[in-house]
Amino acid sequence: MVNLTLALFRNARPHSLDAFWKKRQTLKLSSHFYGRARNCWSIAIRRVQRALMYVTEGRKLRKVHMKDVWNDRISAGAQELGYLPEGDRTLLEGLARSNVLLNRQTLGNLAVMEPRTFESLNKIARVRANEEYMARTLGPFPKGVLGKL
Amino acid sequence: MSATKRVQQWLTFTRQWWLFDAKWQDPYKSATVITKYLKGGHKPIFGGGHMDCGDHVVVINSQDIALRGGDEWYYRVYFHHTGYPGGATWTKAWELHKIDPTMILWKACYKELDKNWSRRGRMLRLHIFKDEKIPVDIIPNITDQIPQLRAVPKRLKDYSQEEIEKFPKLFDFPKEHVLD
Repeated sequence: MVNLTLALFRNARPHSLDAFWKKRQTLKLSSHFYGRARNCWSIAIRRVQRALMYVTEGRKLRKVHMKDVWNDRISAGAQELGYLPEGDRTLLEGLARSNVLLNRQTLGNLAVMEPRTFESLNKIARVRANEEYMARTLGPFPKGVLGKL
Repeated sequence: MSATKRVQQWLTFTRQWWLFDAKWQDPYKSATVITKYLKGGHKPIFGGGHMDCGDHVVVINSQDIALRGGDEWYYRVYFHHTGYPGGATWTKAWELHKIDPTMILWKACYKELDKNWSRRGRMLRLHIFKDEKIPVDIIPNITDQIPQLRAVPKRLKDYSQEEIEKFPKLFDFPKEHVLD
């Protein structure tokens, strides 16, 4: 028997499914709620059921949110390199045509954690963009990158 | 790299100060740009509206803003209610601009920001001045400028006589068609 101390009582597993232990399982999930929803079981069970529904919803929303965050980070990183707002499409298109197959999560992380890597990727994309006549007004042509032309 | 300096990040989370010249700019379109800087959306470290990485923005020449169309000054109305019966007032944009030339831009930014508890704190980082006179203690903080949405066009009187004469033209107007 391990769950002997008071600190471990909160994580105690039921040995039998009697009413006390069933309620204990619910109250564990409501332990961080405000007011009587924390300790009164009849209120807690309703709040916990609703909270679990929010969790199910949140699992989908989190993925949407993270996609937005990556897009924001790529856009912000591109603007630091001189692109116009919403001009990062040129960057992504240039990378795709250069066969640099990085997804938005990776590019977003690079924009935050490794700005110089991100800048180098931008150079490759920009050379390709110039070659394919995608964007002629993007500024001076970068040096040190070999393209087709 | 030593172990102690591995995670050292110079000035990543400092608040920068930006300058925005509102001369002849649309206040409502400018507000979308300004609030992006107030929220920190222009930084790659931005990770959603809950993050506290916004910058300061100093707006100058707010008295020279340009509203859309010729008569928007007359039909855009700002509502206020004192709370008492009959306490509703409707102030037209030109009247509000006369009372306080910074108010329209302030309200535009306030409306544009997310409606939550971080809004007041972000608005405190917005400094609007009606002309080019900025307090002395703010000037040394400013490090960069937000580009204007539209370039301010030059007026005819801003061109020198030489440039006007040099401008290509097809014909001269007959003398009887020129008033002065």
